[in-house]
Amino acid sequence: MNRLQGKDLINIGIFTAIYFIVIFAAASIGFIPIFIPLISVIVPLVGGIPMMLFFSKIKKFGMLTICGLLLGVIMLLTGMGYWCIPTGLIFGLISDFMMKGCGYKNAKREVLIHGVFSMWVIGAFIPIVVTRDAYYQNLLPGYGQEYADTLMAYMPDWILPVLLAAAFVSGLVGGLIGRKLFKKHFERAGIVS
Amino acid sequence: MIACRDVSFSYPASGPVDGECLTEGALKHITCTIEDGSFVLLCGASGCGKTTLTRLLNGLIPHYHEGTFTGSVYLGGKDTRDLSLFEISQMVGSVFQNPRSQFFNVDTTSELAFGPENHGLPEKAVRERVRLVAEQLRLESLLDRSIFSLSGGEKQKIACGSAAAIDPDIYVLDEPSSNLDAYAIADFRKLLMRLKAQGKTIVISEHRLYYLRDLADRVLYMKDGEIRGDYTAAEFQSLPAERREQMGLRPLDLNDLKGIALPHGRTGDSEWKIRQFSFAYKHQPETLHIDEVEFPFCGATAIIGHNGAGKSTLSRCLCGLEKRCGGTVQEQGRIYSRKERLKLCYMVMQDVNHQLFTESVLDEICLSMRTEDRAKAEAVLAEMDLLPYRERHPMGLSGGQKQRVAVASAIASERPLIVFDEPTSGLDLFHMRQVAEVVNRITEQGRTAVVVTHDPEFILRCCKFVIHMEHGKIQESYSLCEPEGRERLLRFFLNEMG
Amino acid sequence: MSRELLASQKNHSGIVLDPRTKLAVLTTIAVFILGGSYEGVMQYYIIVLAAIPLLLLLSAGKWKGAVLYLLIFGGSLCLELFGLSYLTGVANFIAVAIVGLFLRFTPGIVMGYFVVTTTTVSEFVAAMERLHLPQQITIPMSVMFRFFPTVAEEWSAIGDAMRMRGVRFGGGKAGSILEYRMVPMMICSVKIGEELSAAALTRGLGGPVKRTNICKIWFRAQDIVLLLICLGAFAAQVYVWAARG
Repeated sequence: MNRLQGKDLINIGIFTAIYFIVIFAAASIGFIPIFIPLISVIVPLVGGIPMMLFFSKIKKFGMLTICGLLLGVIMLLTGMGYWCIPTGLIFGLISDFMMKGCGYKNAKREVLIHGVFSMWVIGAFIPIVVTRDAYYQNLLPGYGQEYADTLMAYMPDWILPVLLAAAFVSGLVGGLIGRKLFKKHFERAGIVS
Repeated sequence: MIACRDVSFSYPASGPVDGECLTEGALKHITCTIEDGSFVLLCGASGCGKTTLTRLLNGLIPHYHEGTFTGSVYLGGKDTRDLSLFEISQMVGSVFQNPRSQFFNVDTTSELAFGPENHGLPEKAVRERVRLVAEQLRLESLLDRSIFSLSGGEKQKIACGSAAAIDPDIYVLDEPSSNLDAYAIADFRKLLMRLKAQGKTIVISEHRLYYLRDLADRVLYMKDGEIRGDYTAAEFQSLPAERREQMGLRPLDLNDLKGIALPHGRTGDSEWKIRQFSFAYKHQPETLHIDEVEFPFCGATAIIGHNGAGKSTLSRCLCGLEKRCGGTVQEQGRIYSRKERLKLCYMVMQDVNHQLFTESVLDEICLSMRTEDRAKAEAVLAEMDLLPYRERHPMGLSGGQKQRVAVASAIASERPLIVFDEPTSGLDLFHMRQVAEVVNRITEQGRTAVVVTHDPEFILRCCKFVIHMEHGKIQESYSLCEPEGRERLLRFFLNEMG
Repeated sequence: MSRELLASQKNHSGIVLDPRTKLAVLTTIAVFILGGSYEGVMQYYIIVLAAIPLLLLLSAGKWKGAVLYLLIFGGSLCLELFGLSYLTGVANFIAVAIVGLFLRFTPGIVMGYFVVTTTTVSEFVAAMERLHLPQQITIPMSVMFRFFPTVAEEWSAIGDAMRMRGVRFGGGKAGSILEYRMVPMMICSVKIGEELSAAALTRGLGGPVKRTNICKIWFRAQDIVLLLICLGAFAAQVYVWAARG
């Protein structure tokens, strides 16, 4: 039986809720504008704990794609734009393929998968970057070339790949932390089956 | 008709660990037949396999819980193995123990409609079902409410309604009264009467027997995974009370409790004095208002009253957990402010899972100590019969053991006041007495225990003083050392039964 | 219940909208205010769009929120239009950054706030079903919204236990704070989840038949108006592109 059953679907809902609450609590720091880029580091870092437990419950294809989509929907509902829906879907789908590739039981690979999955957060930064050029055009008439260039220096072209890489790397670290806690607590407490 | 033919079942070694089904809960060679329209009570100590048997009847075994299963269960002549869980769901309605975890929806009307919706009934028919069930089970006043605003009793009624909306012929209930107070139980009993009057087959596994006395047609007594007794209602009632006690069962009649002896241990010479406690949620009317109340220092005090009377709020305020609560606690001229009370009191929560943080029982105790002292921690563990488990993960223990870990860390924290929030909900006779024993032990050491509870037997076994609350105020407070006090207490619980 | 992400009980204040309309408005705001370029006529059209959440807040009697929104958004807009060119240096840079963020994010956040406080979970799921999303998405979605308040309850109960046991930041075990909080919360949530699955399955969830839904949603006149405004935004954008050649 490879179709997702009721139990799997309920698990997706539960873990997405836990994951979102955890990352939301951690990402609150980003309400201070200067720290916004830090979100791409913090979210994958703390998200690893619930995610590694979730990964252990995944035995079928598609669960991470749905999880990514749901995260995108919540981001839309909380006014963060719709870009997390495609990024959630894409990185969820890649993660799903990787899960399938390792037969759903390779702990080391799961850390890597968490790194990949974490890159969905990039969706939250896309509005800042995609509108950059338009914003630049707008600044020109009012402020002049020089000023607009200075401002743009704070939002360089390469910021998106950098944030993406940051999300991936801290996703790996978060995965390791999650893995550690998983062994330390969840296995011993007997909630993993 | 339900028929079990030589059914044996055991959970896998690393199965769920809610205490009852680790190695326990296995069934051995069960053979029984339940006639249509009968009301069957399953009783027995924790771990005897009652819950497992209910899971066999509602198809969760073998379709949800894994394990080794031999023999067969037939529902209306069909083997449950050949039926899907979806098909069984049309024949059997289930109600579970924990009111918090059996709702799929967040509002009551959707919850009632949930079953019929899943079965793909047309919209109009679903509405009709919801209306009919609400009318038959008197749930009208609960419609269109958020489930987060319901009390435990109301939630269990909605859970029954949700099962009834599918209109099954069989109902399987697994310890539905565990989290209910006496008043809610009386109400719940009326609902069961209505289902029985409809001619439904009802199988209920339960620790509290008194509310089912006049309802059950048949009683199955289970022990160690076997059916050890099969009584008609009359036979079961005619058993002497001592016999039922030997079987590890709770009393069938609360009047049987009159004989319980006063707990021994010394009584303190001074009092705790609560002054000017008041509490209100933001923009809400006051839910707690106490001018002054005293209870003895040393010894155990029970806080009783209906759900929503403010018992839990009082205990939270006492522990200093409510920032919005004004007022002080005094003892021999020393006055404790809210912040100081955070260090004065230790609460053993209803769901102990919330207060166990570390990776081993020993660490858990050490975390509570002001200065870590392993030898002393081990002494505390030995006292609570937990020494063999010191390296285990606290969350991997059974419910009773977890509770004792919480009590042990309370003792290790050396705080004089220990508050228990509903420590015996859902416990059988043996485990309830064990908790009473624990309370007696800590009061003998010169600590004070405050117990929020609905359990009259438990109160009589360990408490010496009662604070009765109603509508956020103190209704009365009295000592249990004299026989009048004890009668007053039983009268309260008997009246509740209505 | 401030802990809910979508309401569990009907809230009859303000203009009643179909959840699909609310989603359309949210998306339009995200496209044109959060991610738009404010070219040509669009810089006026975004004011129309930004007025929608304000109107909705007012109709729901959320005066405080409305005033705050008006101050933040209106203030940012005025600064953007008139104030910024008078500032220089660092002050200017900070002002541009903050104004830009406020201007872009507030309407979406406020609209999101309106959506999550006035939509019930049943309505939202009904809307998703009407949009022909499969069960594989609607079931996890309803569980998720059902679970937010539960996780939040667990979270605060564990917080209480931590305060009572004197585990807090700055103590000797500060590094473990996250662990102490997350571990019990996840263990409790997983257990509740197991029980929830069992209960839902005994009520026939996930069967082979198509689920029905008794929650009624339909488009009213106000929905049509708002949907037209949203469409207008897309039309205006196309016009801007066309004009640019």
